[in-house]
Amino acid sequence: MSAGATIRREAVPVVFGVACLLALVALIEVLIRAGLINPFIVPKPSDIVMSFERIIMEENILPRFFLTCGEALMASLMLSVAGISIGVLLHKSRIVRLATETWIAAVASAPLVLMYPLFLVIFGRSAWTIIMIAFVAALPPVILKTLEGLSSTRPVLIDVGRSFKLTPSQLYWKILFPSALPTIFVGVRLGMIFALINIVGVEFLINFGGLGQLVNELAERYDLPGTYAAICFVILVSVLFFIGTERIERWLRPGT
Amino acid sequence: MPAADPILVVENIVKRFETQDGVLTAVDDVSFNVVPGEFLSVIGPSGCGKSTLFNVIGGLMGGYDGRVTVGGETIRGPHASIGMIFQEESTFPWRTVIDNVAFPLEIAGMGKAERIERGRHFIDLVGLNGFERRYPAELSGGMRQRVSMARTLASEPKILLMDEPFAALDEQTRLLLGDKVLQIQQDLKQTTLLITHNLTEAVQLSDRILVMTYRPGKLKRLVEIRLPRPRTSEIVSSDDFGRYVAQIWSDLREEATKGLKDDEARRGGEKSS
Amino acid sequence: MAQTGHLTRVPAAADEPWLNPVTRLRIIILVAIIGTWELVAASGWLLRDVVPSILTIGRALTELLGHPDLKVTLAGHALWIPAFYWHLYVTISEVVVALVIGGTTGLAIGLLLGANPFLAKAFERFLYYLGPTPKIVFFPVMIMWFGVGPESKIAMGTMSCFFPIVLSAAAGMRQIESVLIRVGRSFRLNTWQMVTKIYLPAMREPIVNGVRLGMGVAMIGTLLAETKLSNKGIGFMVIDAYNTFDMPRMYAVLLTLFVIAIGANTLVGRASRG
Repeated sequence: MSAGATIRREAVPVVFGVACLLALVALIEVLIRAGLINPFIVPKPSDIVMSFERIIMEENILPRFFLTCGEALMASLMLSVAGISIGVLLHKSRIVRLATETWIAAVASAPLVLMYPLFLVIFGRSAWTIIMIAFVAALPPVILKTLEGLSSTRPVLIDVGRSFKLTPSQLYWKILFPSALPTIFVGVRLGMIFALINIVGVEFLINFGGLGQLVNELAERYDLPGTYAAICFVILVSVLFFIGTERIERWLRPGT
Repeated sequence: MPAADPILVVENIVKRFETQDGVLTAVDDVSFNVVPGEFLSVIGPSGCGKSTLFNVIGGLMGGYDGRVTVGGETIRGPHASIGMIFQEESTFPWRTVIDNVAFPLEIAGMGKAERIERGRHFIDLVGLNGFERRYPAELSGGMRQRVSMARTLASEPKILLMDEPFAALDEQTRLLLGDKVLQIQQDLKQTTLLITHNLTEAVQLSDRILVMTYRPGKLKRLVEIRLPRPRTSEIVSSDDFGRYVAQIWSDLREEATKGLKDDEARRGGEKSS
Repeated sequence: MAQTGHLTRVPAAADEPWLNPVTRLRIIILVAIIGTWELVAASGWLLRDVVPSILTIGRALTELLGHPDLKVTLAGHALWIPAFYWHLYVTISEVVVALVIGGTTGLAIGLLLGANPFLAKAFERFLYYLGPTPKIVFFPVMIMWFGVGPESKIAMGTMSCFFPIVLSAAAGMRQIESVLIRVGRSFRLNTWQMVTKIYLPAMREPIVNGVRLGMGVAMIGTLLAETKLSNKGIGFMVIDAYNTFDMPRMYAVLLTLFVIAIGANTLVGRASRG
């Protein structure tokens, strides 16, 4: 099959998917105009689109975006440094690792973000509450993936190191750690995604911050098209963040 | 009969393991010598303790009776004069081919420019020129084993110790890589100890072959391979080759059959309870 | 060197139940954490209310779980029980309903996407990228659609758990060895039989993992919705304690919640192993 035909064949389902989505939106528009769906519950898609401009102009979208991003970056930085360091430290002693790994996995399955009222009391209604919750909630996967990466070095690679009479320090930094890096990156990426989810969520809940707060505020003002538009913004940022981190992960792992 | 002073002396190695089924003797009083420049193969069925022997000689395993000396010195862990090539995939996936091969030079503290040049020499030796900057994931299995080989050769060991390095490859690739190994060994006059279960490979490459029994692994027979040198894989079609293979197979078959029966007995016993 | 070698084994917990080093270390860690907590509580370094002493928390816990302060009617009889259990019942029922709805739709759509490469290429991408978005921002919409009662919380939970389940199901379908599918076809199984006798059994592990993850996020979605707008449920209890600045009570509720969440997760994990 020619290259052109292959590309066409690959594009068909994608186009189909997008077309279905647009058709759905158009259908909703029609149903609302026909009076079959209550416009006070589901605003017209055309109204939503028009409110985008208003939102951008009047609601300081850019500063909000930067605030949310700033919180996410700060939390991600803290996550990576703390998570990898703790993982490395825990890995050094087999007994410590055995004792703590299952506990950390258990903590990871608990709804840690529910502690946000507690953090509100400690840090007040500020960006630090948001950053700290994201940090705490997203820390376990980074630690666990770091541990997993370090523990799952293929034994033959360690044998190679021993056969070349590497010192323990060389063995660690030239073989164990590089071998663990792909898994560690997966953990950092997971952590960053959890962090963003929690950040936007808590911004919404405590009505402070960037994009999450915007959704809450518009909802409280009963600005329905605006609320929907703000939700779209949140989805957009989240998707871009997800794709971006995916690309970075792929770029950092050349041999895969 | 080898006349020169042996470079590797394996004396009365006994290695036992504790398992759920009791004490297992993997290697039972194995002794042999290797002289400089020779290619010695140790062949035996699965379960004859060959890999244990590999790890013992390589210094990766302790807790055994007997001793191993290299150039008169008893080993205490991996010895600098022994280079090991493993059966499994052992290239570092995060390093390029040249960085893999230059690894032992990097450890030895050699400067970057120098070790790239030395590394190139060994990449050339295994026939992988042009692939210096590739990552192992981009290469085939056979090519990756060649990278591992080049990496070990780059440390210029006095003795090359290999554990079934071609086990994962298909027969034709194996024969051709065998040619490469022969050529390198003959060029470098590299003392080589090969652990294998592959009969044709052993006869193709070796000066002498040690046949081991099934567990507990003892030396059953020592066979001198008087095929002409230099050799290539074409030797496989000669009559003498066939005779050696037949001779060694009769020994091997007996041991391999023991191994099979033992395996069946163990598994059958568990099921009937 | 005259010793026998040992095959390395990890010391199993069954070897020495109480004295094994792992348990000892865990006890030490626990004692250290509790000790540090009490020190901070006593020193008043952080606001005394923010770090209450363990005893205070303990008292709040017993009150929470043991003090009957709510009158409920059960089958015509009036009963006094601690309010906590009623709120717990509310939350659990919301989560269960969310899991059932989200789980069945997720499974069904996931199986469809896994089996049909065209549909997968058309739509799976949307689900994949929509997955890691914070669903709580949809809550105002859910309230508009379903009102302020438990329905909107269930909707939050359903939205949250739908995504991990549908993606695991689709991935699980694709990892079934194709030979097993061919065996099913060669026996001329109909669709329902294929699903129940081949697809689902072969996919047990990815599905269970997806459901575990789904359970976790359904819980989070439901609880967060309860904290935002509700007058019942565990989420409500947490925010209520915050609003009345009853810190010990908040700790007690959170502690109990975490124990339940971790316990549920462990149970599902054990069940998945056979």
